[in-house]
Amino acid sequence: MDFGLDDEQQMIVQTIRRFADRDLRGWAPDADRAGAPPASLYKAGSELGFFLDAVPAAHGGALDGAYSHTARALRGFELGRGCAGMAALLETNVEPALAVATWGTAAAKQSLFDALARPGGGVAAFFHDSRGNLEIDDRGDLRVSGKLGPIPAFGQATHLLVAARDALFVMPALDGAGRKLITPSGWRAAQWGTATLDAHRVPAELVLARGADARAAITDVLSWARTSLAARAAGVASAAMEHATAYARERVQFGQPIGSFESLIRLRDDALTGASSARLMALYAAWALDTRAPDAADAASRARVHAGDVVARATVDAVQIFGGYGFVNDYPVEKLMRDARAFEALHGDERLGRVLAAKAEWANA
Amino acid sequence: MDMFHDNPMLQGVRQMLGAFARQMMRPVAVKHDQEESMPWELLKAAQSVGLTQTAILDGRRRLTGIDEDADPKKPRFQARIGVAASEEMAWGCAGIALALGGSGLAAAPLSRMGTQEQKDEFRRLLSGTDANGHIKIAAMALSEPGTGSDISGLKTAARLDGNHWVIRGSKQWITNGQSASAYVVWAQTEPAAGRAGVRGFLVARDTPGLVPGKKETKLGIRASETAQVHFEDVRVHQDMMLGGAQTSEGSASGLADTKKMLDATRPAIGAQAVGIARAAYEYLLDRVRGGTLHGTPMATHQHIMFELADMHMEITASRLLVHRAAWMADHHLDNVAEASAAKAHGARTVQYVTNRAMVLLGEEALEPGHPVEKWYRDAKIYDIFEGTGQIQRRIIAKQLTGQNPT
Repeated sequence: MDFGLDDEQQMIVQTIRRFADRDLRGWAPDADRAGAPPASLYKAGSELGFFLDAVPAAHGGALDGAYSHTARALRGFELGRGCAGMAALLETNVEPALAVATWGTAAAKQSLFDALARPGGGVAAFFHDSRGNLEIDDRGDLRVSGKLGPIPAFGQATHLLVAARDALFVMPALDGAGRKLITPSGWRAAQWGTATLDAHRVPAELVLARGADARAAITDVLSWARTSLAARAAGVASAAMEHATAYARERVQFGQPIGSFESLIRLRDDALTGASSARLMALYAAWALDTRAPDAADAASRARVHAGDVVARATVDAVQIFGGYGFVNDYPVEKLMRDARAFEALHGDERLGRVLAAKAEWANA
Repeated sequence: MDMFHDNPMLQGVRQMLGAFARQMMRPVAVKHDQEESMPWELLKAAQSVGLTQTAILDGRRRLTGIDEDADPKKPRFQARIGVAASEEMAWGCAGIALALGGSGLAAAPLSRMGTQEQKDEFRRLLSGTDANGHIKIAAMALSEPGTGSDISGLKTAARLDGNHWVIRGSKQWITNGQSASAYVVWAQTEPAAGRAGVRGFLVARDTPGLVPGKKETKLGIRASETAQVHFEDVRVHQDMMLGGAQTSEGSASGLADTKKMLDATRPAIGAQAVGIARAAYEYLLDRVRGGTLHGTPMATHQHIMFELADMHMEITASRLLVHRAAWMADHHLDNVAEASAAKAHGARTVQYVTNRAMVLLGEEALEPGHPVEKWYRDAKIYDIFEGTGQIQRRIIAKQLTGQNPT
């Protein structure tokens, strides 16, 4: 067992940490207010290797060999420390690219990878129909009806990877499909979108998997996404406490720095335990994915649930430590509290899924 | 009447304000949250249900829980009316409720320690409409940038110059701070006297040197305006010092009274928290009643229903604490710890309920303008303003042992 980082991993952490501290944190307040990232995000992200890191080298990307979810979790934690909304954009291509590389037809690969690798870079998004809202009529080609989203990066995307009941497929050219751009309270820079489809045609060549194959593939895709979400959530929780600790040192009430009050020491201490455990669970899930360990899907799911709880609590407590200043936009923590919610809401509630699965098992026992 | 049941008068207050909240507040709540705008049209409409900007001075003290005229031997109803009204209004929209009550914060100290001349002046300043055609409102300016939980170290100072006090300093977190036509500002008149030297002054908006500062962009309660206010050598006639210029010795008309007032508002703040929590709980319950989960009724799932049962328990417990604190106030009993418990427990409940509601609703609650997401943001201030959760626990702890834990 080795918890240390190798040279390459250390370099990733250092590089992304510098980018997060200097650029993402610098851009975050304006991006949050504007509901959009600065134009420089895509350029800076591309230079650091985002957007094409999961696209195979043969298709104009940077992926040569197996994709490292561990490296992604390490960088995800740092991105979360920077800005959750921009982190979502920087990470958005990974699920569509890996899924299409793994299960896609030649036509699917060409459609997606040409778009992603074009000069200036392209963006794809991922949606999991966790509530079973989509109606899919499968006649070789799919006819898809129902509501998609809210989906981060969908406002910018040329392609959408959809995981629905019994089908995993990719959809291009979404502008004709009633796409609406939205700006929720959290991850405001993430260029969200929704769409309502009415018998929208998805050609058979863009269907990655159906039936039992689709269910297995969707488990994999969700495990990648959940692991990354968990790592980023741990980063947001950690950032919340960085800000709160600095503030608690400066702010004096009743003649002492507020950080020296035992009740606030406890709030910070519990949040640090949470952030630390969330980060470790995310890294373990990533390692399990990379080593194809049998518990990878379970580890990813539990990591995400735990990180979702941790980030919600840590950001609320950071606002509490800032007091009135925590409630206003001039200080960084109210944004973190808004940003926290998407980490547990996206892609559905695994706790519920586990409860229903276990209940079915007991019923058959 | 016992403390567990509303008498017909309280039922009437609930029904009237509940209807106002449902019909008038709910339809515009999301708009004012998204725009972060004052609900001017509702401030006007609210006058029809007795919520005028000078209601407290006119003897209609529904939102304050304070009644200085009471026969000390007889139980009152003001505190109970206040908490019933607060819960209903916050159920409609906490931000709008706070906007509706903002002028009351200034009227309350005037009502308690103002002279007839000052009350008349306050009414005059609030009559008619302002330059934007809005009804006129008032603000109370107490908090300062360095003075949050610890209100003994006020920096804003007033010095006597002939017949006038000259006020200098900056105030922060002032409800209605930018749009008010009248301000009650607290300033230190005798630095050596500490808290006893802190006095209130009634100041008209157009007094030279009174400069409203930046309006804050907030996480929640966004229909309520919060701003800084700067006092740059603002000259105020000595007759406009609360309590009158002749009674400056002793603290009865100074900051200590303000503190008592903050104590008196705590049950109502707790009641607002209960109102938001109930809104989120009812939203979920409504969803559960008609909903199915993978083909089975949601209401048959323990996974969901035990959460609702927990929410119901916590909301009921919070409401009972609020009503007990108000009942004690109405019966002239010392309720310092009970008022803090009501406020702190309400804050905890509303954060818990809105958090769990967000989790149970999932992706849906990420949609812009979703009411539960708004309530989640609105909830947080209840653990911060009017004394943070930590301050309330400090007050309770001191009641338990006589010591201030640090």
